[in-house]
Formats: sequence, C-alpha cells, structure tokens
Amino acid sequence: MDVSREKTLREPRVSSLALQVAKYTAVGKITVRNNLAYLYDYLIRSLFLLVILYIFAQLWRVTYDGIGTATISGYTFEQLLWYLVFAEAMVLSSPRLARRIEDEVKKGDVAYQLTRPVSYLLFQYAQYMGEAYVLVPVHLLVGGALGTMMFGVPHFGWGWIGFLLISVGAFTVNFLLNMILALTSFWIEETRGLEFVYYKIVFTLGGMLLPLEMFGGTVRQIADWLPFQCVVYFPSKTAVQFDAGEIGHMLGVQAVWAAVLTVCLTLIYRKGVKKLNVNGG
Amino acid sequence: MSTAAKKSLSLLQFLLTTWKLNLAGAMEFRMSFSISVGTMILNNFVWVFFWGIYFTKFPLVNGWTLQDVMMVQAIGNGAFGVAAVFFGNFIGIANIVSTGQLDTYLAQPKPVLLNVLVSKMTVSAIGDLLFCLILYGLYGVHTGLGLAKFLLALLIGAAIMVFFNVLAQSLAFFIGNAEGLGFQVFNAFLTVSLYPTNIFHGLGKLILFTALPAGYISFLPIGLLRDWSNSFVWGAVGVALGLALLAFRVFRIGLKRYGSGNMMTMRM
Repeated sequence: MDVSREKTLREPRVSSLALQVAKYTAVGKITVRNNLAYLYDYLIRSLFLLVILYIFAQLWRVTYDGIGTATISGYTFEQLLWYLVFAEAMVLSSPRLARRIEDEVKKGDVAYQLTRPVSYLLFQYAQYMGEAYVLVPVHLLVGGALGTMMFGVPHFGWGWIGFLLISVGAFTVNFLLNMILALTSFWIEETRGLEFVYYKIVFTLGGMLLPLEMFGGTVRQIADWLPFQCVVYFPSKTAVQFDAGEIGHMLGVQAVWAAVLTVCLTLIYRKGVKKLNVNGG
Repeated sequence: MSTAAKKSLSLLQFLLTTWKLNLAGAMEFRMSFSISVGTMILNNFVWVFFWGIYFTKFPLVNGWTLQDVMMVQAIGNGAFGVAAVFFGNFIGIANIVSTGQLDTYLAQPKPVLLNVLVSKMTVSAIGDLLFCLILYGLYGVHTGLGLAKFLLALLIGAAIMVFFNVLAQSLAFFIGNAEGLGFQVFNAFLTVSLYPTNIFHGLGKLILFTALPAGYISFLPIGLLRDWSNSFVWGAVGVALGLALLAFRVFRIGLKRYGSGNMMTMRM
C-alpha cells in the first residue's frame, strides 16, 4: 500500500490547533454557563456601581457648569459619564485571579490543576475570558441604566463594535498582567496586596478615574508607555469616541504588550512550577 | 470611690486591655501587618492623585479648595480608621447575629454591644488612620486650636460612622440575614462621606443629611474646621448622640428577639 493511500484510510484528521482551540473554547463555555447561574447575585452586587457613578455624575455636572464650556479635554459631559460607565465595567468585570490562584496554592488544589491534560495558563485564560464576558454585560446594564436615565439611550454606532473588539485585547493584557502577579504565589504566600496595588495603578494610569487626556504633561507620557492604558482607556475611549483610524493603533499597542507579557509569563511560569511546593490538597 | 465611678474605671480598663490585645494580635505577623497598612495608605493616595489632577485643571469645586477636599479625605478616612481600629465589629454585627456567634458575648459579664464592637480590630484601617494624620500634616492647620478642632471632627465623624452602621447591621435581628444589605449601606455611606457635600443637590443632598447622614461627616471640614458654624457643629453633635442612643436602644430590642444558633464559638 502506498503512503498516500494509507493516509486516506486513516481517521479524518483534525488539525491539532483546531483541537486545542476547541478544548479551551469548551473551558470558556463551561465557565460562562457556571457564571450565568449567579447572574442575579452579580446584578445585586453591582448596584454599588450606581452609587459611584451617581457621585461622579454630580461632581462632573458641577465641574462642567462651573467651567461653562461644552467640552473638557475633548469630552462632553455625556461622553465623560459614558466613558466612566465603560471604564468601571471593564475593571469590575475583570476576575480577581490573584485571590483564586493564591487560594489554590494554599489549599493544594493547584496540584490537580497542574496534572490535567491542559495547559495551566491557557486553562486559566479561557476561564478568565468566560467570566469576564458574563460580567461585562451585567455591569454595562447597571451602569448604563444611570446613563440612560440621564441622557437617554446612547447612540454609539460603531463604538459598540469597536468596544467589543478592543475589549478582547484589554482583557487579554489584563489577564497576562494579573497572571504574572498571581504566579508570585508560587514563591510568596500573600499576593492580594500586590493585586490591590496593581488595580490602584489601573485606576489612575490606566484611565479608570479620568480619561488620559485629562492628565497632560509628564503623567500622560508615562501612561502612554505603560500597558495599563490597554486595559481601561482604550476600550472606554473607543466606545464613546469611535475613530476607525485609532483602532489599528490601539490593537497594535495591545498586540505588542500581549506578546511581551506572554513571554514574561511563560518564563515566570516555567521557573515557578519547578519551585512550587504544595502542601495539603 | 462611688460604685458608678468604679464601674466606669473597670470598663475603661477593659477597653484598654482589649485594644492592647487586639494590637498585639495584629502585630504578631509583622510582614502581613506592614503590607496591610502600607497598601491601605497607597490605596488612599489614589484619591490624592485624583484630586491633585482635578485641581490642576479646575481651581474650585463649587467654592471648595484643594485643602478643603483633602480635609474631607482626612476626616472621612480618619473617622473610618477610628471606627475600624477601635470598634472593628461595627460592620460585622449582622454576620455575628445571623450565624449565632452572639452567644459568646451574652455569656460574658460586659455590656454586650460594646464588647462586640471592640472585640475586633481591622488591621488595614491603621493605614487609614496614618493616612489621615499624613493629610493633616500636609493640609491641616497646625495650631493648638486647629488640632483640637481636627480631633473633635474625627470624634464626631467616627461616632456617626459607628452608630449609623450599628443601626443598619442590627437589622439582622429583625430580617434575618442582613449581611449583604448592611455591607451595601456601609459602602454607600463611606463612599459619599469622602466627597464634598456641595456637589450634591436636591434629593441627593436631602438624603445625605437624613437617611444616609454621611453629609454630617463630609461637611465637617467646612462647617467645623474652616468656618466654625454653631448650628452645624451642634447639629452634628446632636446627630452623633442621637444615633448612639438609637443604636443602643435598637440593639437592646433586637437582643430580646435573638435566638441562639447553637454554634460553639470561642474568643481567644
């Protein structure tokens, strides 16, 4: 039997990449289904978002009235409030990886995770994305309720598509940064403090509290050279001020940071997994 | 010495001993203690950054200067710091009631509410207290009178924060599991107490001085520290005392409805 004939007699071949994608997509789907079971809880818990947004709405209304101009740093009052809705939604929807992995290490559960026939990092990524995309609509719904009450139904047009596209890169970069922090639990016991500090940087230099245009000067330049803008500023800005020309630039910056951080994460993981000493389980 | 004076002295000794032991317990893990306190200070400085950026672009928020807003942060965080360091269970009562852990306190020969309140110290809140002092150092009035007014503002703020939340947490006696509700009320109360009152108007402002009286804390930097207003200061003192009396009363009524959870607990 010639070789080509033998090949055709084998089982239909599915590329290994397609299998891998299917495997991690299944992990993501299961996470989505698990999280959908707690949708009501998430809604109740996110009501606090209304308090925050109400306070910001009051603060910026007074500010716009006081300044007497229609725009501040290129944002109208309406755009600024919607920017904050998207920014808060991005941060609140990001699963807290450090807490989860720290607990897994402390309880010894990580031993089971590492022996599964899946990549530990890709498994965590699929779970992370599944959870994030259940939470984003919830937070946008709650935050959007206030925005809609104040300004009516928003007409972002392409902004919605742009947000969806950029949010994938945003959650990916956030996952990579968080995972790097979370993996430090392989060396040290407490990582929550690091995560806490990380999110404070995202709040400020990431553009959650203020769009980066408001910074100006050196602070803005520093923020432009750091990955945190990819997490909050890019998707929120795209949603409220969609600019097709900017999308390519934002995706490019996200891709560069994703590549750099993936290399760092892989190196840290390889080093950490050799060092890991699991107790209990 | 009269019996009342002896009782007061004994109560004071009990409080001091409890606080000393709480602090010793927290200091047992030095690294964890330092991280908790340090990260909390850093967390609070995020708002200094926010307001710093804000005031470089806009000189005033409806007449409030950077110094006024920083004192709002100092008093708000300081009031929370005092409450959570010295009366750490002020946001833990709902959990204690609904899980039946109150039995332990009922069996001890000390005032129940006071005993519950002081039995916990939130370590990270020491960071809030330090942050409050740093802000006073940077933006406060450094005279004897300035310091006295600052301490009075802290005392009033802490009393309002503790007793308002004791009231909210005591709902657990009447509706069962009020942990989630109590936490939401606390979060809303603390958050609004950290912003200038004059950004709120109409219904929002009315709520701040009635149903959610955080306005009596966030207006202290103006009504007490900057422009001493007799009506506001006496109003705030009255609210603090009124909330304290109401909290003790409601807690006492709640105790009569409390059913033991048959849970074995121990206080170390």
